[in-house]
Amino acid sequence: MGVYEILIHPEKCVGCRICQLSCSFLYNGKYLPAFSRIELHDIYELTPKIEFSEDCIKCGHCARHCLYGALEIIEVNEN
Amino acid sequence: MNWYGYTGKILEINLSDEKISSTGEDLKDVKKFLGGMGMNFFLGAERLKPRTNPLSPDNIIVLGTGPMVGTIMPGASRTSGFSKFPATGAVASVCGGMSFGFHLKQAGYDHIILSGKADKPKYLYIFDDHIDLVNADKIWGLDIVETTNLMWRKYDDCGVIAIGQAGENLVFGAITLIDKTSTLGRGGLGAIMGSKNLKAIVVKGSKGIEIANPKQFNKLYDSFIDRVRKYPHRDSWIELGMLRSLPVGMILNAKGEKKKARQCSDRNYLKNIKFRRIGCPSCPMADKDILEIREGKFEGLLNYTSSIINPFLMFTSDGLSSYDRAIKIFDVISRYGLDSLTITSLFDFISRMIDQGSLTNKDLGFEWKKDYNTYEHLIEIITYRNGIGNILADGWKEITRLKANLEEEMLTIKGLDVVFEPRFLKLGTMEFEQVVNPKGAHVASGGSPTYVGAGGGIEKMKSHFNRMGIPESAVDRLFRPPKKEMNINVGRLTRYSEDWYTILTSFGLCARAQMNRFYSLELVTSFYNAITGLNLKVDEIRLAAERSWNLMKLMNVKEGFSRQDDAFPKNWFTPLKYGENKLEFYDFYGNVKINRDIAKQLLDDYYDERGWDKENGTPSTHKLKELGLTRYLL
Repeated sequence: MGVYEILIHPEKCVGCRICQLSCSFLYNGKYLPAFSRIELHDIYELTPKIEFSEDCIKCGHCARHCLYGALEIIEVNEN
Repeated sequence: MNWYGYTGKILEINLSDEKISSTGEDLKDVKKFLGGMGMNFFLGAERLKPRTNPLSPDNIIVLGTGPMVGTIMPGASRTSGFSKFPATGAVASVCGGMSFGFHLKQAGYDHIILSGKADKPKYLYIFDDHIDLVNADKIWGLDIVETTNLMWRKYDDCGVIAIGQAGENLVFGAITLIDKTSTLGRGGLGAIMGSKNLKAIVVKGSKGIEIANPKQFNKLYDSFIDRVRKYPHRDSWIELGMLRSLPVGMILNAKGEKKKARQCSDRNYLKNIKFRRIGCPSCPMADKDILEIREGKFEGLLNYTSSIINPFLMFTSDGLSSYDRAIKIFDVISRYGLDSLTITSLFDFISRMIDQGSLTNKDLGFEWKKDYNTYEHLIEIITYRNGIGNILADGWKEITRLKANLEEEMLTIKGLDVVFEPRFLKLGTMEFEQVVNPKGAHVASGGSPTYVGAGGGIEKMKSHFNRMGIPESAVDRLFRPPKKEMNINVGRLTRYSEDWYTILTSFGLCARAQMNRFYSLELVTSFYNAITGLNLKVDEIRLAAERSWNLMKLMNVKEGFSRQDDAFPKNWFTPLKYGENKLEFYDFYGNVKINRDIAKQLLDDYYDERGWDKENGTPSTHKLKELGLTRYLL
């Protein structure tokens, strides 16, 4: 699994949570956004806040699932 | 047992004695009714006594999601509601989007059942196993937006169903909003919550959803998303949202109002109205709106809506002269928890009655003008039940209390104003289903390839029929209409539109055209089996949908509904004056003028296709036996 830089474009986020769902399923084996490594706040407010938790390893899984361009993946280190 | 997709749990709350219990679902019931809407019917039928007063403590509210909600399944976010509705007296299902269902599943529940009445205003807070009925004295009287914002500030990430002042004051048509955006409860769910002293339901969770066969699911998911990404119109759907499905300017142009039509253009929407796009959980085709008025008297106003079409449809009314006024009025309506479709119809109705002298200013108690201020006044007096507002708040059926003989002039079905007008849109299943559904005129469950003129030629129709899982043996009958030139039999097709809607809504899937187009019965059955591991066959899913619909119908037969309630509005058989145009009632392809004989034949065909008794328009004993529903006859 590679390590990536992930650029966040909160203005493109629609609040679909697909990033959280995909992350939590990969690392927890269930769809559990509360334990996702990508944190969403105020998703239906004017500007959503998107942050990565401390245990996020920047695997890029969430960004690959994002359908709205809110997460942009930039490869920095291919292992 | 291990539940996959489903949580297997139902939360029951009696608001009168605050008894709270969590019970397990029975697998055999789940297989029979699927979830969401279907299971709501089952749970409701087991508990709701016929002839219950909708606004009494004996009425119940069942909220349900579906086995796919809470997962990444594309478009799975629906919350279904069941109750007996005051506007119509029907036992019915309502449905909405946004995040309530998602959070409910995360909290560990497939359904909530609410009964009784709280002794004073309360809101229900659910966080996993922690359930609390919280004093709502301080928020009673707030509007839906204020209430939802307050809950989001207090509980952070959560789903909220709230009522506004209209619900509190038991306005028969009051609705609720999910996350201050998605409408839930046409026909009076807001009033039912109000009658129970229940201001809001707030839910969040941290339990998560497991699925049975991740490998199979991921394969299906990747292929599905690949189709979505490659869909050539996806970008324009995301850009325009629901404006892409119904260009309201077309309606205004037909009315001869070109200046207003321009204000509903894609260009004006994008340049002056759209703030940003939001979407429901797991949705790849987000279409909800945050709107902003950027100039003029209402500069700075922000409005959340499930569809830009809602405020734009209000704009078709003669009382509103500019788009910003329409959005402002729509925002007021949304905050109070009124139904914008009903208020628009009511405004137009009163205007017409004043024009033709059937109503006078004296009858109303104030001077009627076709303007913004009158609109605002109408909304205020209905919400707070002032003056004649107290009569109007009791719904269309009570308007004759205002003045006799108005009933003939109303364009309603079973007490709700017509949403899909066939003299403008032609007679598709959306239009026809309003007549046969006990819940009366409504938006959702008649969707089919005939939606707003879509569908195209016969071959395309056939491919959609196949997608919806219509049995091969029925297809020939669908092409045998009362008159050959009509090409399709909308009466017979409506049965399958309802069943397809039931399947989607029981799974928790979105039925809007832009998502619906990616689903087929075969595909959603494969997804269902990968998620739940229950390995149901296509035929079993189809039968479960039919069983659910028949149970809903049977409940309404017990409420007193029969064929005579399935009446086409008389006005449909007379021309509709629309600007300079006179529009008449034609079949879907516009080839045959629909008269009463054809309408009767279409009703006969609908009942026949359902296997129901044609004379009474009710499920036959044979059909109920076939579906295992005979015990509900008692």
